[in-house]
Amino acid sequence: MGPLLRHMYEAGVGSVGLLTILTLFAGLNLSVQSYATFERFGGQDFLGMFAGVGGVRELYPVMAAVVCGARIGANLAAALANMKISEQVEALEVMAIDPMRHLVAPRLWAVTLALPILCGYANVVGIGASYLGAVGQLGLDGGTFVSQLHEFVGLLDLGVGMFKGLIFGWLVALISCFHGYRALKKEGAEGVGVATNRAIVHGAVMCILLNLVISWVLYG
Amino acid sequence: MRKLLQLLETIGAVFAFFLDVLQIAATRPRYVGEMLRIMAVLVRRCIIPVGLAVAPIGAVISLQGLDIFRMFGLDRMLSSLLGTAIFREYSPALASVMVAAQAGSSIAARVGTMKVRGQIDALAVMSVDPMRYVVVPGVIACMLVTPLLDVMTNVLGVFSGWLFAVPLGGVDHGAFMEHLTAQVTPADLWVGMGKCMIFGTAVGLLAGYLGINTKGGAEAVGKAANDTVVYTIVIILVVDYVVSMALLGVGI
Repeated sequence: MGPLLRHMYEAGVGSVGLLTILTLFAGLNLSVQSYATFERFGGQDFLGMFAGVGGVRELYPVMAAVVCGARIGANLAAALANMKISEQVEALEVMAIDPMRHLVAPRLWAVTLALPILCGYANVVGIGASYLGAVGQLGLDGGTFVSQLHEFVGLLDLGVGMFKGLIFGWLVALISCFHGYRALKKEGAEGVGVATNRAIVHGAVMCILLNLVISWVLYG
Repeated sequence: MRKLLQLLETIGAVFAFFLDVLQIAATRPRYVGEMLRIMAVLVRRCIIPVGLAVAPIGAVISLQGLDIFRMFGLDRMLSSLLGTAIFREYSPALASVMVAAQAGSSIAARVGTMKVRGQIDALAVMSVDPMRYVVVPGVIACMLVTPLLDVMTNVLGVFSGWLFAVPLGGVDHGAFMEHLTAQVTPADLWVGMGKCMIFGTAVGLLAGYLGINTKGGAEAVGKAANDTVVYTIVIILVVDYVVSMALLGVGI
């Protein structure tokens, strides 16, 4: 349990600051930009619905996955690749400790469990920021915004967002551990760089593609 | 408090670095060949990840937007939402985030590796200004490549949105195209490309700054590459919001 909690703490609590800043601006921006779009055909009053549905179902989970994925995934891949090229993994094997069980499994579980919580947190911050943007900056009616939100965003949507977080967390951890673990000693420091870069890029692309598949299955 | 001071100091240093880059880019000699070489590498390395990341966004907007628009019987209007959202917001922001993840981290890693191996100092000894030869071509290459990729992702995003709206969602093709061409103006394209130029410059600038200030060994290089990605994403989102507010204020 110890390593699991430590990795969860590193991945989860370590990402909160970054995630807060990003979701704040993404939420504000979602209000501002959809206002600019909806104004063209006079639908400003539906901002609450749009910011709620688009944000909670799609934007915030994907953003949490891409951003935290970039940070967490890069750390995971770099740590594992470093252990691999400095032969620490082989040393574990010599001591009859299974490196998969000892190194990879706790990290995989930790990130899989941490990301849904981060997604839930991002949903809350994002909706708050959208409200701030719509009411505080654009001067829309707060009551309309909240009632729209209440009517169109249910607990189910929040659940879907967190479910997406679970899948993305697992995917990010799997991809990063795979690239980190595959680094070879002869590649040296460059191997670490290649592994982290691939972990970030492959993780982001796979999360976005899988998001489309999940949304298609659930809402299509 | 000390952290805040450190942050301010870093921001100031990056700004001074930016002024340096501007001054060097404005004067001769220019290493155009080096810049073109970096541009070719960036396009080759970025085109597939950027395309794969942005294309599904159009499909998701169609998928969710169709649900909402159907409630009001407005599903013919979907394409105007899709077009403006892709051209103005999602394509520029996401393409730049992916450029940061792919190109920014590799530029930072390359410059950082040169630095820790002493190659940067070696260049200086040969009286080649490392800023001029290594950093500035990278910044300009990022600045030019990102808008180009944005044009590609605009097309991909609208196409995937069309795919989910027309053949799969049952919207009339004629109505889709009509609202798309009526609502999406060249101004939307220029706004998106302009944003991409700003974001691309930020990617190149941060990658160059963190790369050339790398101290230590292989781990520091990895850290420079990671930091480039994370900080650039923050800058992209903050600048995106500021630009959106400014454009809303001007009414473009």
